[in-house]
Amino acid sequence: MAISHIAKLFCAGVAMTFAAAVAVAEPVVGKPAPTFEAKTADGTTLNLESLRGRTVVLEWTNHECPYVVKHYEKSGNIPKLQKEAAEQGVVWLQVISSAPGKQGHVDGATALKLNEERGAAPSGVILDADGSVGKLYAAQTSPHLFIINPQGILEYKGGIDSIKSAKEDDIPKATNYVREALNALAAGKKVPHASTAPYGCSIKYAG
Amino acid sequence: MLLLSIEVLPNKQNPHRALANNHDMTNRLFNPAGENCASLRFSLFAALSCLLFSGFRRWLFFFFRSRLAACNLAGLSLCILGLPALQSYAADYVATEQVEARLVAGVDAVSPGAEVYLGVHQKIIAHWHTYWLNPGDSGSPTTIAWHLPEGAAASDILWPIPGRSSMGPITNYSYENDVTLLTRIKVPDNVVVGGEFPIKAVVDWLVCEEECIPQQVELDLVLPVVEPGEDLGQGSELVEAALARLPVESPWPVKVFRVSDETLELWLEFPNADPATIRDLWFYPNEWGRLKQSSPQTYEVFPDGIKLQLPAGELIPAVGESLDGVLVLTEQGSSGDMQRGFELVVPVQAAALPGASLSFALALLLALAGGVILNLMPCVFPVLSLKALSLVRHAEHSATHIRNHGLVYTLGVVASFAVLAFILIALKAGGAQIGWGFQFQSPLFVLIAAYLMFAVGLSLSGVFYIGGSLAGAGSGLTQRSGYAGSFFTGVLATVVATPCTAPFMAAALGYALVQPAPKLLAVFLSLGLGLALPFLLLSYWPGLQRWLPRPGIWMERLKQVLAFPMYGAAAWLVWVLVQQAGADAAAIALAGLVLIGFAAWLYSVTRQISTRASLFGSLGAAAAVVIALAGGSALRAGSADVPQIAENWRPYEEAELQQLLANGEPVFLNFTASWCISCLVNEKVALKNESVIREFEEAGVHYLKGDWTNRDPQITTFLSRFGRSGVPLYLYYPPNKDKPVLLPQILTPDIVIGALRANSTAISSSTDFTSGRN
Repeated sequence: MAISHIAKLFCAGVAMTFAAAVAVAEPVVGKPAPTFEAKTADGTTLNLESLRGRTVVLEWTNHECPYVVKHYEKSGNIPKLQKEAAEQGVVWLQVISSAPGKQGHVDGATALKLNEERGAAPSGVILDADGSVGKLYAAQTSPHLFIINPQGILEYKGGIDSIKSAKEDDIPKATNYVREALNALAAGKKVPHASTAPYGCSIKYAG
Repeated sequence: MLLLSIEVLPNKQNPHRALANNHDMTNRLFNPAGENCASLRFSLFAALSCLLFSGFRRWLFFFFRSRLAACNLAGLSLCILGLPALQSYAADYVATEQVEARLVAGVDAVSPGAEVYLGVHQKIIAHWHTYWLNPGDSGSPTTIAWHLPEGAAASDILWPIPGRSSMGPITNYSYENDVTLLTRIKVPDNVVVGGEFPIKAVVDWLVCEEECIPQQVELDLVLPVVEPGEDLGQGSELVEAALARLPVESPWPVKVFRVSDETLELWLEFPNADPATIRDLWFYPNEWGRLKQSSPQTYEVFPDGIKLQLPAGELIPAVGESLDGVLVLTEQGSSGDMQRGFELVVPVQAAALPGASLSFALALLLALAGGVILNLMPCVFPVLSLKALSLVRHAEHSATHIRNHGLVYTLGVVASFAVLAFILIALKAGGAQIGWGFQFQSPLFVLIAAYLMFAVGLSLSGVFYIGGSLAGAGSGLTQRSGYAGSFFTGVLATVVATPCTAPFMAAALGYALVQPAPKLLAVFLSLGLGLALPFLLLSYWPGLQRWLPRPGIWMERLKQVLAFPMYGAAAWLVWVLVQQAGADAAAIALAGLVLIGFAAWLYSVTRQISTRASLFGSLGAAAAVVIALAGGSALRAGSADVPQIAENWRPYEEAELQQLLANGEPVFLNFTASWCISCLVNEKVALKNESVIREFEEAGVHYLKGDWTNRDPQITTFLSRFGRSGVPLYLYYPPNKDKPVLLPQILTPDIVIGALRANSTAISSSTDFTSGRN
């Protein structure tokens, strides 16, 4: 019977090795975040690797999604968070993966104008109309958030907060996971909820 | 007397509601279900989908509330048109642009202390969906906040079987077209009989096509309160239909194994499933993160069950944690596909077989290592030491010659293992009934394993020797000098090693047995190579000999000591068996062990007397083993989960049916097959339900069952009369009728009892008639 125990140990080891090998398929907290190069709303090209040394937040968004509206127009929750992040020196990037013709798809100028109207202050907006960055991160919802530390390691992925509703009244009652994670990182602590369920509208990928 | 109805929303299903007139109101008096009442709808809803509670709507309700109240009172059959308003109005129907919502009840009235079902019915326009408990990758489940009279309690939503929809890489668990979300309500004991029971539900949902709209509606319903014991009425048909869509407890054991960090394996132990009739099998986890929603779940049908591979998500449950959710099976029925949901709360177990989770390369490696270890077993070591080692030790030949002997010996071992592998492959191919899928869950297998462990123990204790004559014959061959001798030494080593493999090779064998033939062969060859390896090495480097332990009495002691873990394993397996098949299994297993012990002794003792005695002894021993195994078949039959009750059905015979109908007897017909999962669920959930059995008894119903497992042509003809080409088919012939009532494919106790009661008198019969018998 001893053999079967040894087998299990072997087996666990092999499974872990495989797990590491396939990690590129989906971002895993504690592992290097996938890198990409993408166009931004102001017409430049941004390479994620160029942001090494700074904490980066990726926020998938779609201005027409009611869940995004909840956290922007209705409450100012995310714009406020973006400002707090900026004060901490964090780079906050919105990512728009809506395909052309689908809800939330905008050109660069519109994206910037929308942010101005909503009092939003991200460091930049990534235009990902072909969905390649979205699929690289397996982004599922708007909003869906990822936090990458200065070493390029993924520290957080998941929802904006703990109450999955479209009602702004719930915001004060919810735990804001992103704020919690950013504060923990700033204090050099471990992120308490490193992977949570994202909630919101589905990302409107092409096809 | 017209109810205002400004109809803009197309509602093809309910055209009669477009204009309500006196006739309609009359209907309501006799069909007092909530759904027929208050069918006001407003074009405004279409325009103001998110502003449902505008002042205008309030005003309209105020204006018409007297009629609405009258309508709700219709349940009491006391309604007089134009009766003045008694209480607040009730709007049990509200529509948005995408969803028509209706509050319905499973009763027409409540009584103090009663438990009733309420349902929120959503009729969703094409291509849009609302969400299940776990919405999947995005979305949000519907919520209902109940506002009930003080003391009343509402359950959580009872979610019907969900569906799934995928858009690109995102998969959601959702409802399309229409759904009724049920809630169980406990009416407090102190409600006033003769009064009203007002219900308000604030319902929040997210409705999505590709885009999503969160919506909220408020629905009201007022039910009269009647005396306890009084008939509460039929209520809305939507509630009954929704009850049939609720997941049920699985009638078959379900096990979940964590086979790796990425995969869970779910086993539904339903024997004899027909892969051809299964359309889809999907497990919907209750919680986010348990599984990857978007990855496919693949199933495989085995003779003794169905295996479903589940790609694990972020929060894969650990061994011992529970996996909760609904397993939904879509099966081809006799009139379209049938869906059954099984509600599962299953503790996750470690991999079923010690080796099931091994990778191929690792299995080969383990087999090799296991083979090497076999050399130390008392059954093998003497052969090697006495025969083979001497060859090396007293080598008068050249080094090349010795090496060749080593190679030929290896060939002998490996060839023997190849033969073993081919025997197994042939067995697997010949009798798919071996059903390796579930061997460790099958009581019969566990029993045989217990016997085997006990027999190996007896052999190690010296009660008898397995393969003595083979070994004897083998020794003769091995005496030969030359390469033939070496080859047969290899064969002999394999033969004598076989009884020792059971406890040591579990992992590699467990793996090999569920693999396709080439992999199985590879594992066995690897095992053989492992067994041959030490001798092969010795033949190449004779200097290694001094590292070997010398044979001696210690080996006999070791062998005897090793018997006790075997007895222990047998005892443990008997315990497992009792868990699986009940206390009777202990008696069967222990009696079987006694028989095995007797067989071993008889076999051994008669061999020392004479050839003839030996023959009788062998036959007697074989008979004892057969009896012990026969006990296993009794075990299987008796291991049914439900206590055996007297059956209340007889097999269907056309002649008997005709006779019964001619006598005007009520008859219930059930056409089923052992591979039809939904048929058997219907039996367990509805037809074997106590209240149904009682109803059959009280109504004197003759219950006939037609088993179509082997496609009986008589039954095929009968089915074709009802336009069916398969099972299930449920028919009820009320007394003195030769036209049957057709029941739906998915049964609940209420559906069966309802069909019996609705048709128990000769007058009735508006329900679902089919073309009659010819």
